[in-house]
Amino acid sequence: MKQENENYNKVLNLLRKSEPVLNSTEDIEREVIKRVIQSNRMQVFFSELVDFLFRWVYIGWVRKSLITVSIALVLVFVYQQGIILRRIDMLSHQTITIEKGNLPGQADEIEKLLMVYKNSGKRFSSKTVTFSEDQIKELLESVNELQIKYKDLENLIDGDPELKKLIEIKLIEKKLIDNNHKKTNL
Amino acid sequence: MERKSVKIFISLFLVFMVSCNEPETVVTDYVHTDGSIMRKIEMKSIESDAIKRFKIPDIQVPLDSTWAFKDSIEVSQKGDTIWMRTATKQFQDADEINRAYKSDSGANKDYLRKAVFIKTFKWFNTEFRFSENIGKELLYGYPVKDFLNKDELLYFYSPGDLKNSKESGPDSLRYRALSDSVKNKTDKWTEKNLVSEWIGEFSKLTEGKADSDMSVQSLKAREDEFVRITERNGNKLDSLWEHGIILREFIGEANALKYKVEADSALSIVTKRIFANFSDYSQKIVMPGKLIGTNGFIDSSRILLWPVKSDYFLTEPYEMWAESKVPNRWAWILSGLFLAFVLSGVIVKVIKKD
Repeated sequence: MKQENENYNKVLNLLRKSEPVLNSTEDIEREVIKRVIQSNRMQVFFSELVDFLFRWVYIGWVRKSLITVSIALVLVFVYQQGIILRRIDMLSHQTITIEKGNLPGQADEIEKLLMVYKNSGKRFSSKTVTFSEDQIKELLESVNELQIKYKDLENLIDGDPELKKLIEIKLIEKKLIDNNHKKTNL
Repeated sequence: MERKSVKIFISLFLVFMVSCNEPETVVTDYVHTDGSIMRKIEMKSIESDAIKRFKIPDIQVPLDSTWAFKDSIEVSQKGDTIWMRTATKQFQDADEINRAYKSDSGANKDYLRKAVFIKTFKWFNTEFRFSENIGKELLYGYPVKDFLNKDELLYFYSPGDLKNSKESGPDSLRYRALSDSVKNKTDKWTEKNLVSEWIGEFSKLTEGKADSDMSVQSLKAREDEFVRITERNGNKLDSLWEHGIILREFIGEANALKYKVEADSALSIVTKRIFANFSDYSQKIVMPGKLIGTNGFIDSSRILLWPVKSDYFLTEPYEMWAESKVPNRWAWILSGLFLAFVLSGVIVKVIKKD
C-alpha cells in the first residue's frame, strides 16, 4: 500500500515538471491579440453609442430642458393620479340603492299636486263643482256597475251568434232611419 | 260641506290624472369611447291592459318605429304579472339623441332636454363626461338647496326604492322624521316659488302701466308677507282669491280692482308652469372605463341611476352627469421610456465627470 502511494507521487511529480509541447506558438499569440482587439472594439463601439445617445448631456440648455420636462411629467402624473384616486374614494362613499322592482309610488305625486292645487286656487274653481260626498260615491259606484253590466252584455252577445246578427241588423236599420231623418230635415 | 266635496273631487281627479297611461320606464344610456350611445328603454306595467300603456305618445322619452322592440312577461315575487317591452337603438352621438328630443311626440315632448358628451385627452388618461340635462320650468323660482340642508337634499333627490327601504329599515324613525322635514320644507319652497313666479309674471304684465309701489322691487320686498298670507289661508285660498280678497290684501284695493285681469293672467301662467304634466321615469348611464365622478346613485348592478321627477327641474336645470377615464397605455410606456432615457443621461454625465 505504501509502495503504491510512493509510485503515485512520483508519477505526479514527473507530470508537474514536464512542460507542454507548443508546436504553433505564433497561432496562439495571434489568437490572443485578435481577441484583445475585438474586446477593445466592442468597448469603443459601446462608448461611441453612449456618447452619441447622450451627447445632449453636455449641451446645458438641452439637458436642463429634458430634465424639466421629465420632472413636469412626473408631477402631472402624480397630480392626475392623486385627483383620480381622491374622486374614486369619494365615489365609494356614494349611496347604493337597492332595486326592488316596485312600480313607482304615486302617493308623493298626489300630495304634490294637491299642494299645488291648494296654492293655485284658480285651476279648479269651486263654483263649477257642486257635488256632495255621497253623490261622488254614488257616481263611482254607478260607473263600476255600468262597466260590469256592459262587459256581461258583450259576453252574452259574443256567445250567441243569432243574437249578435239580430243586433247588427237592428243597428244598421237604426243608422238608416237616422240618415233618412237627417235628409228630410235638410 | 261643499268645500269637503270639492276636496274629494279634486283628490279623485288627481288620482285619475296621475294614474294615466304611462308605464314605469327606465332609460339606460350605454356610452362608448367614440361618443356613440346605445340607448335602451325598458317599459313595465302590471296593469292587464299593459300593451295599451306602451304606446309611443305615452312614453316618457323619444321612441319611434326605428327602434328594435322585444316583449316579455315576468312574474314578480308577489305573484303579479309584469308586462315588459324593451326598445333599443344605437345613436351615433349625443347630437342624434338631441334631434330625437326635439322631434319627440311622447309624454314629455314639451320639456327641454339635452344630452352632452365630452371627451378630454389628458395624456396619461382620456376622460369622458356624459350628461342628460333638463331645462328649468320656472323663471323666478328659488333653488331647493336654499331650503334643505345637505342630508335633506340627498333624501330629496333619492330614488323612491331607496326612500322606501330606509323608511322601513332599522333606522326607520330617523328617516321618517327626515321625510317629514323634507316634505314640510318643500311645501314652503313650492309656496315661495308660486309667489315669486306670480310677482315676476304680474310685474311683466303691468310693466309701464303701474305705479312705483307695484314695481318688481317693491313687490319682491313684500314677498315673504304674501307667502305668510298664502300659508295662513291654506285651503280657503282659492275662494279668497276668487273674491279678490288676497289680491286686495297684497296690492291694495284700488290696484286690485285696476289690475285684476293681469293678476288672474299671471296666476294662470304660473299655475300652468308649476302644474308640470311631466311623466316620471328613471335614467341610468353606463360609462366606458373606470368611473371617477357622478351626481347619481349607484344601483345594485353598479349602474348609475337617477330618478327623473318634475320637482328636480322646477327652479334649476337638472343635470344627470357621470365622468369616467380610460388609461392611455401607449402614453404610459412612452413616458416611462422618456424618463429612463433622461435618467440614464444624467447618470452617464455623473460617471464621466468622475
